[in-house]
Amino acid sequence: MIDPAWGPFLFDTSAESWLIRKATPAVEAWLLKYLDRHRIHISAITVAERMRGYSMLRTSVEPERRFAIDVARASYLSQLGEVRPLDAGTAAAAGELLALLPNPPSPPRRNHRLAESQQERLARWRFDCLIAATALVLGMPLLHNNPEDFEAIASAIERSPAHFPGLSGLHAIRCTLIV
Amino acid sequence: MKSSKRRTTLTLPADALRDAEKIARARHLNLSAVVAEAMVNGLKMQASASRSNEVLEGYRRAFQGFSEDEMAILDGVILEPVKAKA
Repeated sequence: MIDPAWGPFLFDTSAESWLIRKATPAVEAWLLKYLDRHRIHISAITVAERMRGYSMLRTSVEPERRFAIDVARASYLSQLGEVRPLDAGTAAAAGELLALLPNPPSPPRRNHRLAESQQERLARWRFDCLIAATALVLGMPLLHNNPEDFEAIASAIERSPAHFPGLSGLHAIRCTLIV
Repeated sequence: MKSSKRRTTLTLPADALRDAEKIARARHLNLSAVVAEAMVNGLKMQASASRSNEVLEGYRRAFQGFSEDEMAILDGVILEPVKAKA
């Protein structure tokens, strides 16, 4: 169990949606306690991933759904908490991560009728490294629902501290473990 | 900036008032100061809870009405139809 008072946390894109979509009453109570004390911190990369998603959906759905997507997008933007920028220190740490781990640790996602291309998987992996670097440089625990990627990143940092001078390790917390 | 004060008459629960009087004696404050402090803190908590609910509602509106596949796209996972094998 993770005490909300230990925050603030950096919320990965996967954690943000899991906490809202899959929340049990206990998870919702946790989130409200967290929000009473802290703002939701996210990386600018998460905003980019979301905006790309809304834009792609808008162009692919039937016209009568477009307004609902615009409303959803506006709601997302209007309640944004603390958006952490990609600064020089974060970019430098992300570059080290990408050199240590050039390839994603897990294969592209797929289900019975849809699949992620290699190119998309690589892009998503690079975004994850940028988000992890943001948490690392801020010294903020990273809340996520993507253990394949973030645990590999946390291990790489632990194995190669010389690549990240002055930074302590990445504290990655899977959001399913908060309550 | 020091906030201005107003005198008023309130009807308060007797138990809560007794507790406030005990606190006032222990902290060498007058009863008004203790009741005012409790009220300011209570109002702050109320405002904070209201803000938390607003954020949660905003997120719900941002993610509602999407299928699991569409949510994956909003999460940055772009899936394309699998091509049939020739």
